[in-house]
Amino acid sequence: MPQLGNLALAIALILAVYSIFANIYGVRRNAPDFIVSARHAIWSMCAMITIAVVVLWVALLRSDFSLEYVASYSSTTLPTAYKFTALWAGQQGSLLLWAWLLAIFTSVAAFQNRRRNPDTAPYALAVLAGVAIFFLWMLNFVTRPFDLLAVIPAEGSDLNPLLQNYWMAIHPPSLYTGYVSASVPFAFGAAALITGKLDDGWIRSTRRWAIFSWFFLTLGNIFGARWAYEVLGWGGYWAWDPVENAAFMPWLVMTAYLHSVMIQERKDMLKVWNLSLIGLAFGLTLFGTFITRSGVISSVHSFTQSGLGPYFLSFLIAVTLAYTGLLIFRSKQLRSPAEFESYLSREAAFLFNNLILVGITFAVFWGTIFPVLSEAVRGVKITVGPPFFNRVNAPLALGLVFLTGIGPLIAWRRTTPDNLVRSFAAPVAIGVATGILGAVAGLRQWYVLTAFSLAAFVMGTVLVEFRRGMNARRHLLNEPRAKALANLVAKNNRRYGGYVIHVGVIIAFIGIVGSSFFRTEVKKSVHAGDSFTIGSYTLRFLGFSEVDTPHLDSATARIEVLGRDGREITVMTPAKLFYIRPQQPATLVAIRSTPVSDLYVVLAGIDDSGKTATLEVFLTPLVFWLWAGGLLMAFGTVIVMWPNVRERAAIATVLSRSSSDPNELADLVGPGGH
Amino acid sequence: MNIRPRFFIGAGLIILAIGYLIGNAMRTTSEYYLTVNEVAARQSELGGEALRVAGRVKPGTVNWEPNTLTLKFEIVPIPELDTGAAPIKPVVATEPVSTEPVSFSVVAAGEPKPDMFAPGRDVIVEGKLGAGGVITATQVMTSCASKYKPKQAQ
Repeated sequence: MPQLGNLALAIALILAVYSIFANIYGVRRNAPDFIVSARHAIWSMCAMITIAVVVLWVALLRSDFSLEYVASYSSTTLPTAYKFTALWAGQQGSLLLWAWLLAIFTSVAAFQNRRRNPDTAPYALAVLAGVAIFFLWMLNFVTRPFDLLAVIPAEGSDLNPLLQNYWMAIHPPSLYTGYVSASVPFAFGAAALITGKLDDGWIRSTRRWAIFSWFFLTLGNIFGARWAYEVLGWGGYWAWDPVENAAFMPWLVMTAYLHSVMIQERKDMLKVWNLSLIGLAFGLTLFGTFITRSGVISSVHSFTQSGLGPYFLSFLIAVTLAYTGLLIFRSKQLRSPAEFESYLSREAAFLFNNLILVGITFAVFWGTIFPVLSEAVRGVKITVGPPFFNRVNAPLALGLVFLTGIGPLIAWRRTTPDNLVRSFAAPVAIGVATGILGAVAGLRQWYVLTAFSLAAFVMGTVLVEFRRGMNARRHLLNEPRAKALANLVAKNNRRYGGYVIHVGVIIAFIGIVGSSFFRTEVKKSVHAGDSFTIGSYTLRFLGFSEVDTPHLDSATARIEVLGRDGREITVMTPAKLFYIRPQQPATLVAIRSTPVSDLYVVLAGIDDSGKTATLEVFLTPLVFWLWAGGLLMAFGTVIVMWPNVRERAAIATVLSRSSSDPNELADLVGPGGH
Repeated sequence: MNIRPRFFIGAGLIILAIGYLIGNAMRTTSEYYLTVNEVAARQSELGGEALRVAGRVKPGTVNWEPNTLTLKFEIVPIPELDTGAAPIKPVVATEPVSTEPVSFSVVAAGEPKPDMFAPGRDVIVEGKLGAGGVITATQVMTSCASKYKPKQAQ
């Protein structure tokens, strides 16, 4: 079986190489047979990698410890679900998953473009195949998933207990899906540069890919944060660790990209900027893998340090140089005739939003690589921790939130002061009122007051937008309220889905601010019967119960939670686990979540006599809303991605090369208004 | 490119503000990230500075008092062979190299003992170096590998 995996990966590599030659030969010599042949090669490559993945999965499920990978990341007692997810627990498997996703997306892109984009698609597919070659090269020659052990161990070393968790099962595939799907817009951008077809065709053809990527990057980050929250047991969800930053940076850049492409679609501006952003997003996905896999930057999570660093760095540098070279080569053709006309315009708001997003990305990047830089320049490692990132990003986040409110309401090109007052009077009033209410309620931190006011302001702008759109439909089409709302969203899903995402962002932002500023913490060593209070809760430690299984031993503390009135609310059961195979303890956190606050109980230790428990208890207000906001962001993205007849027509128009500029009212009313 | 000059002013202001935020935060939050050997070599200049020290927990020195949540141990250098990294540039020794291996006492109070903490494990200690070479830690982090090597018979 393992030989089958190796063989499949070798054939996949050959097919990837062949598809590049066939695609380029086909498009240069106008030989459609070769284009078709290249497409089949890509599909076959995908089939081959699928075989390799299945082989590894079968080996994991059958606990075939003759494979080094299986012996390293699994064991006979590992629950079946985690044997399945062990595919992406280690380096070889992660790269295999990456290659597999890339092959799937490339195959889908090949299918979508079998009749579309005949000039550019072959180049884009060649770029994607080039990326696939890098990963397949690694899998064939550098870090092989099907290497055999000389001596077959009786038992595997088991999966890291920290990874034996539901969120860890779905976080890496989500993030990787987000990472890898970003390469499709990148490849079409590169193809636009190679062929000189520099209109917005590449953006429109891959818009859904970009949103798809953003969707999974969002979920990946949220799942990762949730995993940290539930598993790491320190009461927080984000520590600005290099590994986390590596996942966050592509998200930031894709967010910027999704906004700035609207300016190009509307006004034919910012061509260089958009091409640079998608290049940056793709580069950062490689960079993310590079820093998590190379050990160049020490992370608390400190994943496998390995010799992969130089390969990733070389590939990253090669891609950056080639892409920058193309940008410079085409720079004359990329000049745009249009100009910014006014600060009071949507394009200006989007431009500033882009600058802040890229600024945050840069700050995160800088903080992440600073230890390496300082060591190279000054000979001493200087590191910056969470305070650095918080101090830089907190004010920038306020600016971003502010622009989230401004951008959608302000008109393209320019806005008159009259318009401004009409659009913003109500939201500003809501924001100011929230600030005053907060101050009256006893909030004193200026940051919190500003953040909540701005959040309310943005919510106000979204409300105004929905109302305006609904009223337009009601008056022009005589639709009742509910129907007007439903049609408004359905017919302009891209725009109103975007607003739903904005609301999600703001809700998550409120959760972040609340949980960062108002978290309280109590640490106590307690005997059975002892009680103590945190916030309005009284916690009483009742005692331990112990359960031993062949896979793990657990000691569970029973803690009675009483409300202010002394009545029992619930019994919480945080536990200490001890995994037999790796001989390693782990912590099982107990969380009682409400929209107001989370009660988070960690059994931090049990003393040797087995009588005393060390408890660490956090009361974190509003953190619930971070997860709720994250889900709403995902939901809004689904609305945006929903197929839309009008948009397909627009793409067809653009692809047949006659530009259109639908006006604002048509946007609001949709096809029913014509 | 074709953005009017006054947009350069607006964009420039934003970029300056971001640059200022980064610079300011760097000044106030950066800390040294050193190995135990490096701390030993620079001990005189590091008093009171915020530090992150990477070292290994010396077996037989761990003292954990759950009632006061106080963790005491000594850290020693991580042998270079184990890290697999390129050898660190030698620190120019001004005094004869002592044969006694370098070690520092670490006192961490008010934090539970991390799960992965154990004698012989590699840790990152965040805190300040006080008089007498005692590091008062605000945080002790254990580095966890995603892959386990079976324990070798000693």
